[in-house]
Amino acid sequence: MHIPDGILPAQVCAAGYAIATPVAWYSLRKINRQPDPTVGIPKAALLTATFFVASSIHIPVPPVSVHLVLNGLLGAILGYYAFPAILIGLFFQAVIIGHGGLTTLGVDAAMMGIPAILAYQVFRLRHPLAKRFNRRFADGMAGFLAGMVGLGLAAVIFMTLIITTLPPGLDAATEKSAIYGLSLAHVPLAVLEGAFTAMLVLFFQRVKPELLEDHWQKKPSKASDLTTEQAERV
Amino acid sequence: MNLKIDQYAHLDSLIHRWNPRLKLIGLTTLIFAFASTESLKIAVPMVMVTGGFFWLSNLPLKFLRHRLHYPGYLLLGIVALLPWLLGETVLWQWGFLSLRLEGLVAVGLIASRFLCILTLALVLLGTMPFLTTVKAMRSLGLPSLLADMTLLSYRYLYEVTDNLTTMRRAMKLRGFGQGHRHHHSSSGHSSRRRFAFVPDSHELNRLASLTGSLFIRSYEQAEHIYKAMRLRGYGRSPSPQFNAAHLCPPAPPLSTRHDRVLLVATLAIALLFILAKWLL
Repeated sequence: MHIPDGILPAQVCAAGYAIATPVAWYSLRKINRQPDPTVGIPKAALLTATFFVASSIHIPVPPVSVHLVLNGLLGAILGYYAFPAILIGLFFQAVIIGHGGLTTLGVDAAMMGIPAILAYQVFRLRHPLAKRFNRRFADGMAGFLAGMVGLGLAAVIFMTLIITTLPPGLDAATEKSAIYGLSLAHVPLAVLEGAFTAMLVLFFQRVKPELLEDHWQKKPSKASDLTTEQAERV
Repeated sequence: MNLKIDQYAHLDSLIHRWNPRLKLIGLTTLIFAFASTESLKIAVPMVMVTGGFFWLSNLPLKFLRHRLHYPGYLLLGIVALLPWLLGETVLWQWGFLSLRLEGLVAVGLIASRFLCILTLALVLLGTMPFLTTVKAMRSLGLPSLLADMTLLSYRYLYEVTDNLTTMRRAMKLRGFGQGHRHHHSSSGHSSRRRFAFVPDSHELNRLASLTGSLFIRSYEQAEHIYKAMRLRGYGRSPSPQFNAAHLCPPAPPLSTRHDRVLLVATLAIALLFILAKWLL
């Protein structure tokens, strides 16, 4: 789901950079407002590298296999670090394995990075969910939704971009059915990515819960704002 | 797949000797000028200019061939599909299949843009050490946080790839993914059937554990590296008494006349391609 060089018109590539730049700026501003912005860098850099390498892990869906995108997971774990992480990961994928491109880096980053930030917001639902259900269910459900939103939204943007920017001459009916067909084909993939993200989230919760800590959450100011777990600790 | 983009950075050529900052400006402008090409007439000079830069860089052809391996499949898909779907001028027909002129022109343009941009990107990044590339980007305004993340990520790529290879080998040696797709009951009959387009939940769980372990193993290594970096002063602003030159990246080397001539020539070529777009 990476758009390579040479496919999109230059105007669309420029528009991609025009969208990605303010989002990157906003993410960096959020990061720089942290008490120590450098603390999250190793985790973000590592997940960037893993984002690159994990694309080589294929999930068998007989008779074919699909590879992971993991932008929803990056959003869930990294919060606002996810956008720069995806930007860098895509840069490596473009220059090292030719997956994506340099001129389309802005488009690709916006396509995968903005859904990742939304996935982070979705993943935060686990806190209110944990008040109604048990923690494991809340984390798994929020992970599933984050993974699904991350890939689903990116797939919709990808398909719309590819079909609408193809050279003129494609039959309108073919174009329409291609958009619907490809979008429908990505629904099971989004569910699969959601399920995989939920499994990973539950794995982290069991083995390394600190990876799921939300560093962006505002510190509770009143006793009533504390979650049950925090209140128990106090 | 060899992850080292700068494996031929030690060679000597005109492009290798070019000042990194000016090289970055010149070749990036040319790449974007190529991306703006919309006529097949410009494809031939575009390929010639790209060939010229590749020849000047002294990079071996096998480097380009290796890097083209993966995107080549995608290109093949485009070449195979578009001429049959796009346009109205039918050149040849066989049953319901019609080869169309507009589709062929679009394929020619997309393929040439793609190959030229990819080759120029290799010339740009393959002729200087990656650290130099990031320093040049930093001196051109790349935020320090992005520069740090880029360098650390590049460093971790090797760690994570090695970890994944080791873990996959270990899983293979323990019999995972080798004919154990069907779980057998004690009677010897398959207890679970596999359906088309439905992933096996056990296999999914196994891969999630593999990916999760990969994250955690690498995360712990990243934590150690970060602590070592903190101990060496990372993240602290240098005190005025301390010689800042030890902590800050050195100033980019001054450009020579040869660097500037090369930049002006490259920018002029890029401008010609942009003008040609309006004229043709």
